[in-house]
Amino acid sequence: MAGAGEGSSVTTESARPAEAPIETDSTRWHVRARTIGECVEQLGQVWTTAAEQAVRTELSDEGKSSALGDPRLAGHLDSRRSVRVRMRTSVLTLVVIAPRPETAERAAAAVNALHQRHPSRAIVVSPTDFDGPSTMDAHIYAECTPSRRSDAEMCTEQILVKTGGELSQHLSRVVTPLLIHDLPVVLWWPDDPPFGSRQFTEVVGISDRLLVDSGSFHEDSGARLAGLATVVSDGVSVSDIGWLRLTLWRELLAGLFDHPLLTRELDHIRHVRIDISRPTSTLRISKAAFYCGWLASRLGWEVKQPLTRRNDDDEMLTGSFRSGRREIKVELRPVRATLDGSHRAAGSLVRVDVEAERPRSVMRARITRQADHLLATADWNGAQVTRRAGQLEPFDETPFIAEALERPGMDKIFEAALIRAVRFASG
Amino acid sequence: MATTTPKKNRARTATGTAKAPRTPPQATVHLNRPTEEREENPLRAGLLLEKVPDPCSIVVFGATGDLTSRKILPAIYNLRRAGLLPAETTVVGFSRRQLSDADFRKLTRESLDQHSRVKPEEGLWHDFAEGIFYEPGQFSERSAYRDLAERLEQIDAARGTRGNRLFYLATPPSAYEEIVENLGQVGLNKQGEREGWARIVVEKPFGHDLESAVKLNDALVRVFDESQIYRIDHYLGKETVRNLMVFRFGNGIFEPLWNRRYVDHIQITVAEDVGVEGRGAFYEEAGAARDILQNHLLQLLTLVAMEPPIAFEADALRDEKGRVLRAIDPNWTEARVRASVVRGQYTAGWVGDKHVPGYRDEEEVAPDSKVDTFVALKLEVQNWRWADVPFYLRTGKRLARRATEIAIQFKLPPLMLFGGTSTPPEPNLLALRIQPDEGIMLRFAAKVPELGLDVRSVNMDFTYGLSFTRDAPEAYETLLLDAMLGDASLFTRADEVEAAWAIVTPMIQQWQAWDRSGSPDSDICTYEAGSWGPEAADQLIEHDGRRWRRL
Repeated sequence: MAGAGEGSSVTTESARPAEAPIETDSTRWHVRARTIGECVEQLGQVWTTAAEQAVRTELSDEGKSSALGDPRLAGHLDSRRSVRVRMRTSVLTLVVIAPRPETAERAAAAVNALHQRHPSRAIVVSPTDFDGPSTMDAHIYAECTPSRRSDAEMCTEQILVKTGGELSQHLSRVVTPLLIHDLPVVLWWPDDPPFGSRQFTEVVGISDRLLVDSGSFHEDSGARLAGLATVVSDGVSVSDIGWLRLTLWRELLAGLFDHPLLTRELDHIRHVRIDISRPTSTLRISKAAFYCGWLASRLGWEVKQPLTRRNDDDEMLTGSFRSGRREIKVELRPVRATLDGSHRAAGSLVRVDVEAERPRSVMRARITRQADHLLATADWNGAQVTRRAGQLEPFDETPFIAEALERPGMDKIFEAALIRAVRFASG
Repeated sequence: MATTTPKKNRARTATGTAKAPRTPPQATVHLNRPTEEREENPLRAGLLLEKVPDPCSIVVFGATGDLTSRKILPAIYNLRRAGLLPAETTVVGFSRRQLSDADFRKLTRESLDQHSRVKPEEGLWHDFAEGIFYEPGQFSERSAYRDLAERLEQIDAARGTRGNRLFYLATPPSAYEEIVENLGQVGLNKQGEREGWARIVVEKPFGHDLESAVKLNDALVRVFDESQIYRIDHYLGKETVRNLMVFRFGNGIFEPLWNRRYVDHIQITVAEDVGVEGRGAFYEEAGAARDILQNHLLQLLTLVAMEPPIAFEADALRDEKGRVLRAIDPNWTEARVRASVVRGQYTAGWVGDKHVPGYRDEEEVAPDSKVDTFVALKLEVQNWRWADVPFYLRTGKRLARRATEIAIQFKLPPLMLFGGTSTPPEPNLLALRIQPDEGIMLRFAAKVPELGLDVRSVNMDFTYGLSFTRDAPEAYETLLLDAMLGDASLFTRADEVEAAWAIVTPMIQQWQAWDRSGSPDSDICTYEAGSWGPEAADQLIEHDGRRWRRL
């Protein structure tokens, strides 16, 4: 779908970009609309055409000759014969608000990649030109593909809407008429959602679930995470790609402490050190803060000292938690070089060290990022006790979006971690 | 076409201006339906339509009006095109404007070109146009009706319409009474022994409160028998509304659940995205409660709530519908109106991609107007089936999108075995979509396919457009055909109309009393155009721990 972004004039089926997997017998439609009313009408027409074509292909020659001349009779025939009718197979409406053209392209590509696993009506809205006259330009793509599992055809639609002028401030009004009845609405707001703004609140108001990527929040992570926490406390179900990317890191650390010798060390942790990648000057700490927030919420730590920069010329951030009389010191170290080159985004975890100390024992657990996997080891008084590895997925966000779409409920663990992360990051 | 019905068959209450709805006419009087007396044509068996209406003249009063050109003429043409009307069928326009037959044919052609769902084909049009006539006249002028009667007799002779007449009142309601009276004066209300029926179709609004509805009914039955009167509510002609009865009574599995034991509550929404569309003066006199609630919303409610009729037959159906209306408490205390009704008026805002003015800035609307463009209310049908099941109704103009829907929400299972799952359980829901995307959706819980046990709501969806590729007929086509066939099932009877007004009128009167006293806490609520109505409407339902469905 990339070509449907800025500047391209897609007016025929064949002009649809070839990024999507092309099945030989899939059928596509493309129409363009300038108003919401036209959009709704065109969508209806696309499906009428789709259904009619399907009936026509399925009818026998005899059926065709007797029915095609008379639409009323054709309707009768499908009650007596079993005709494969095309189904719009959406399981949800995915709304993407993508103000930047490159985000819109990225979103459209992700949506495209998802459509077999999560057939949906996807509405990608790109608000531009807040000052100009109100304008709207929509491209509607519909596609029917024979299902791999059944005889039916799966049909999906993508609506790319560009708005301009004052209309760009009323996106919820643009989206509402395009939603499919009774399907859950997932709102994906890539980049930096304007938490708390009227625009944001209105669009969230028509959605069942919000999908964000806290990893892409800009430098003031504390305020951003706080904004996200407010949304969560308002009862909105949130999926966070940044959080989902931490799953393997959580999994491995939890795995180390499954060892019977180490489980009890959880109550004696005194140091946590996290290296985060910082390929450019941008410093993004939300993932690390989230990871600390997760540890704190699971282990009952309270924030003692929020993350602060030790002194001006040092890049390291420090903070601490408290659990009873024990203090847990946290150090956050931005590192420029990563083992696997530069394709990891700013703020990704590179290494995690956890240390527990008791009068007669020291336990060290660490997870390090290798080229294509994470390696987790733990030693007790200098002897390695356990070791495990986890395969890293490519950085692509699509699988995470897919996962977020599959888990529609509230994630209690995420919420608790978020609350601590906010307190820890907003010093 | 004879009717065995005695002339004045409506049971009347003693007092002239009844405050309570009247008792309905006896159902038995219609058991010998007029059309059943004709011997059936054995050749018709198995054909598309098993009965074809008798040839007749359709006399449209207000022939140059908007409704005629947008709905009535295209409906007649499409019926004819589909082979559902005999070739003798004749249209006679009657209106004040001085036009010739040729002028009116031209007008008709323009209306078809613009509004018909199928564009006219030359051959058929030529044939159709031969049966179009025009009779100019003032509605108040007796002689014009004499001319009309004469003209109709000539047409009977020339075109073989056999004295059958369908009078269609497509005029402003203020003209109804004089038209009806004049028709009576020249004897056009009379029906023949075996053939030559006369029927009258009355458009909404049928009165503007209980008193005026009673008065209009009186004027009608002075001239026509109730069995000749067809009060149109075009919602009842919509395919999905007609399907509602098939759905309820043609299936065995839903009816057992259709009661207070299993149903938590019912929501009925008629949402429009349009505003008053240049009819400000009309709307100032009407408002949402009169324009939609009294007829469409309450009619939908009766169809959902009614008991199974003893037969799929006009009066059996209407008896049951009337019973539902009479089970709704028409006594509105001030406290009850305050607690269970919200009225609203739209202010400027964005609807879809357009910025629209507020109601008070519309043309022909008073700048301090208190007219309701939105109503939400909670009603209870007090009978054994529905006691304690709230019905939440809402309608409004300039809402976020056009959507009409009936949603039946069922109770949660008594015990949740899957409490530990991440999604809070959602109750089962049955949604009957009337427009757009006509269809039916059933929501139930399913296990998410994975190793653990997670429960999620899924939808089982039937959409008309995908299961049947044929177009559903326009509501007006259905209703006109029924009127010509003499089937009044989808038309409202006098007692229904009055019972509906009896529910709505006291509520409106309470608003008017508040507006006169000017107390600010009972003022009309406002809502931004393009939203889902005033916040108070959300509070109305949230107060009971429920939510409006997002449509």
